[in-house]
Amino acid sequence: MTGNNPEMPVGRIASLEAHARDIRREIVSMVHAAQSGHCGGSLSSADIVAALYFDILNIDPARPRMAGRDRFVLSKGHACPVLYAALALRGYLPVEELSTLRRNSSRLQGHPVAPYLPGIDATTGSLGMGFGQAVGMALEAKMTGAGHTVYTLLGDGELDEGLVWEAAASAAKFKLDNLVAIIDRNNLQNDGYADDIMPMEPIDRKFEAFNWRVIKIEGHDMSAIVTALESARTRSGKPTCIIAHTVKGKGVSFMEDRREWHGKAPSDEEKAKACAEIAGGRS
Amino acid sequence: MTLAPASKPTRRVIADRMLEAGAANTDFVVFESDIGYSTYSYLFGDAYPARYFNMGIAELGTMAAAAGMAAEGRPVVVCGYGVFLSMRALEAVRSFVCYPRLNVKIFSSHGGVTAAIDGVTHQATEDIAFMGTLPGMTVLVPCDSASATAAFDLALGADGPVFVRLMRDPLFEVYPAGTGFRIGGSAMARKGRHVTIAAYGDMVIQSLEAAALLETDGVEAEVLDLYSVKPFDEAALRESLSRTGALVVAENHQVRNGLGYALASWCMRNGVHVPFAQIGLQDTFAESGSYPLTLEKFGMDPSSIAAAARAVIGRKKRSEQ
Ligand SMILES: Cc1ncc(C[n+]2csc(CCOP(=O)(O)OP(=O)(O)O)c2C)c(N)n1
Ligand SMILES: [Mg+2]
Repeated sequence: MTGNNPEMPVGRIASLEAHARDIRREIVSMVHAAQSGHCGGSLSSADIVAALYFDILNIDPARPRMAGRDRFVLSKGHACPVLYAALALRGYLPVEELSTLRRNSSRLQGHPVAPYLPGIDATTGSLGMGFGQAVGMALEAKMTGAGHTVYTLLGDGELDEGLVWEAAASAAKFKLDNLVAIIDRNNLQNDGYADDIMPMEPIDRKFEAFNWRVIKIEGHDMSAIVTALESARTRSGKPTCIIAHTVKGKGVSFMEDRREWHGKAPSDEEKAKACAEIAGGRS
Repeated sequence: MTLAPASKPTRRVIADRMLEAGAANTDFVVFESDIGYSTYSYLFGDAYPARYFNMGIAELGTMAAAAGMAAEGRPVVVCGYGVFLSMRALEAVRSFVCYPRLNVKIFSSHGGVTAAIDGVTHQATEDIAFMGTLPGMTVLVPCDSASATAAFDLALGADGPVFVRLMRDPLFEVYPAGTGFRIGGSAMARKGRHVTIAAYGDMVIQSLEAAALLETDGVEAEVLDLYSVKPFDEAALRESLSRTGALVVAENHQVRNGLGYALASWCMRNGVHVPFAQIGLQDTFAESGSYPLTLEKFGMDPSSIAAAARAVIGRKKRSEQ
């Protein structure tokens, strides 16, 4: 499923694209302020997270623990700048607080910590373990008959972890059609291209073999993202995996598809250049 | 205190030594789990691609594979972050490396809160407890370039499993190049007569700083570097305590089940009764932040160590009266 959906109202998509630009700007600014953190994987998932937080998720910043709210588990926890930015722009915390990222006593820890900040559903940062927590949350919803959906975002490098496949098998066994796993398929991990470090393709056929429903999209096409997320919400008896083809560092030319921008902070000059590009709408 | 700033963190020193050693010692291989640009193991991989196995982000499977290759008789180095090596891979280390006493050498970066900035999921603050508990495991923690270089050679030269804890960021140089180190040995980082501060890794440097603070009050603190955490230098500890009569153990780790517990137990078993205090995480998790501010917040900075030293010295005087 790719390309523009003629049914999709243009205003809705344009407004989500604007939110994604704001998120990207805040990602670069907070990692710059901290002089530490992960730009690449945060930027690659900015469009997906914008669609979730500004459209798809049934959440209420005024009631962060609201019963029946949708859950979001950032399994690739190192990309927390994207989550913190979305939460701030959605009203969970003051945008100014983003500059405290990774500082002592900040609620914005180096990796997300659930009890620290309203709106964070799971503590993550150790790859492979967010997915398992999402399975537990979806099981709880099934057991109690709650109708909400659990979304989790994984990195493609994260798929190397055996734990990911344990979670995938159990989600299918328990027919967790209230679980949506989104894979940020940017083809980079820490040490290089994911296809070189540990070839995992065909990822779609792997998930299908695990009895998942699979949707493939271009992960920077907002209308494709929204269409896929809406379709994933429908209950089919199977968990859904959305494989989103993305570009690591998307929106900042000198970070795009560059291994070294996985976990590097921009200098003053680089930050200014990045923010100008983002404002210029390159995303 | 006038120590020269280190130009490289110990994780980098180990990687450089590994690259160097790879030329003469053509036996060993290196396993990595996708943080080769952080452990710097990629340097070895670039030079010796056929002896370098990047297993992806799969620490448990990596350790199992390392055990398998070591079972074939080949010495195996495994590089990674302490949290993942000492926890996710723990069962493989225990049952399939230590139990059969295989030659697997684990070089473990981001020890303690030297990785403070990344937060709790990346801080190995229980690694010494886990690794030190395993039968047959040797645990080494260098504090600077000279001791890290030696730790690589000692680990490769030892028969059996070795865990070496390393730091994320460069600190200071403590020992001149060529200083002798050995498994079961220690180094007298500073001689003193009023209190023994036993430490390893970065806490040797924090303790030296504490000793400098104490000196201004006329307190002469001895800093005993127990870089060989397991086995530790019992003779040196006994000798030091016989002169100072008071012990502070400073470690960048939980106070529970680390070196402090081991030394307290040794003192009890050997009838060495001295006032005793521990510096470390007091049954709590740390947090994200700068390394020095995190040490300060959790009572592990030089002034906290100095305060603990003054307190045990005070208790010593009372018990002597
Ligand atoms: C269990 C575990 N091992 C290693 C790491 C260190 N690490 C952080 S990010 C990363 C690479 C992640 O690559 P990918 O999943 O593709 O994420 P993205 O490209 O979206 O940033 C690694 C190895 C970790 N956080 N957790
Ligand atoms: Mg990736």
